[in-house]
Amino acid sequence: MIRAFAVFVLFVFGAANLDGAEKFPPKPAGYFNDYANVVPKEKALALNERLAQFERETSNQVVVAVFRKMESDSDIADYSQRIAESWKVGQAGKRNGAVLFVFIDDRKMFIQVGYGLEGALPDLTAFDITERHIKPRFRAGDYAGGLDEGIDLILKAIRGEYKGDGATVQEKSRASASSGCGPLGFIIMLIVVLAIIRLGRRRGGYGYTGLGGPFITSGWGSGWSGSSSSSSGGFSGFSGGGGSFGGGGAGSSW
Amino acid sequence: MKTFLGFGKVIVLASLFSLTGCGTYNRLVTLEQTVNKKWADVQSVYQRRADLIPNLVSTVAGAANFEKSTLTEVTNARASVGQVKLDPSKAPTDAAELERFQKAQGQLSTALSRLLVVSENYPQLRATESFKGLQVQLEGTENRISVERNNFNTAVQEYNTALERFPTNMLNKMFGFKPRPFFTAAAGAEKAPEVKFDFSSKPATTPAPATTPAATP
Repeated sequence: MIRAFAVFVLFVFGAANLDGAEKFPPKPAGYFNDYANVVPKEKALALNERLAQFERETSNQVVVAVFRKMESDSDIADYSQRIAESWKVGQAGKRNGAVLFVFIDDRKMFIQVGYGLEGALPDLTAFDITERHIKPRFRAGDYAGGLDEGIDLILKAIRGEYKGDGATVQEKSRASASSGCGPLGFIIMLIVVLAIIRLGRRRGGYGYTGLGGPFITSGWGSGWSGSSSSSSGGFSGFSGGGGSFGGGGAGSSW
Repeated sequence: MKTFLGFGKVIVLASLFSLTGCGTYNRLVTLEQTVNKKWADVQSVYQRRADLIPNLVSTVAGAANFEKSTLTEVTNARASVGQVKLDPSKAPTDAAELERFQKAQGQLSTALSRLLVVSENYPQLRATESFKGLQVQLEGTENRISVERNNFNTAVQEYNTALERFPTNMLNKMFGFKPRPFFTAAAGAEKAPEVKFDFSSKPATTPAPATTPAATP
């Protein structure tokens, strides 16, 4: 049963599992995702809130993802572009997303810039941010400081490019889901949930436990298993708005 | 007899139409437009690279006794790329045409990567701000090229598949939809280039003067 579940998870998230060696991380739960556990919890939460607030104000979606290592044979530019694309970071029409990828063990990072931000955050600026600002701090082992400064500079570069409407994609979808479906939607959901519970009980009860939480990480081995945070308290969750990436951006190794 | 055959054809077509509906036709039009749009994107990233080259060449040429042959190779490859310009608004239907385009671009890729390798021997040049900047821009452009080529191939695949499906495959000839050729994976980029530029050969049939810059920088 557990194995079947793992296969299911791989099937759902492993769409780009082309050459066997490559693994694709699932969609991030938050804006700041420290899967490698290199940033203190409070700091990570503060940065997450900052990026969520930035989306409310400007509609730009900026996501940070810190992994232990790359699970791919291709180069970082290509791999991270496909991940950013699959996460749909940025709003659909504006394509205003940016993702800072960091792979700690590979000592590599890359800023992927969505089509709509290539003007505000050109390759040279992205390179300047990783090479001159983040890299020296990472070399000194100061991950939190490097990420803080990097985020600061990215936000500075792209602020003013677009205007927000006070809510993130996730907040908007939540609002429309509760108002749009009405009681009928609720009843359907109730039936679906009951059916799942029934099915689960008939098959022994366990195996579906992962479905309740905000992330399904059980099938993922050591690579991405760290949690960024739970959705309790003041944590703002992230949902991609439908942005798209064309290979813009730059990166450094340290 | 003749009119009867004609009538039969009409019946067949009508029944095909009712089977597939106008939706199929509209879908093909949309898919074809996507292919053309992606083709335009491919063209614009290649153009972006071509536009970087004069700057790169002049920066590198300024370095003391930089290896001349490498520079000439880049300049020549850039010139031959200018000669196989295809219509940027319409994806090619001829596989040979696309191959010629891809080959010319592949030679430019090889020449550029060789230039970057050779530049390793010139630490002073590599230390300059302008060279570093150009290198970043060049890398970014290569990344964009690979993304747009992939997107183009995906669009072509979707379009070609739709064309070949029954019963669309019986209608597409009538409406003049033609399958489109793909980019092949990194062709020419890995092979050592034959440095032989045949400038006497005719350029591509479709001239696109609006976006064509001067062929030789």
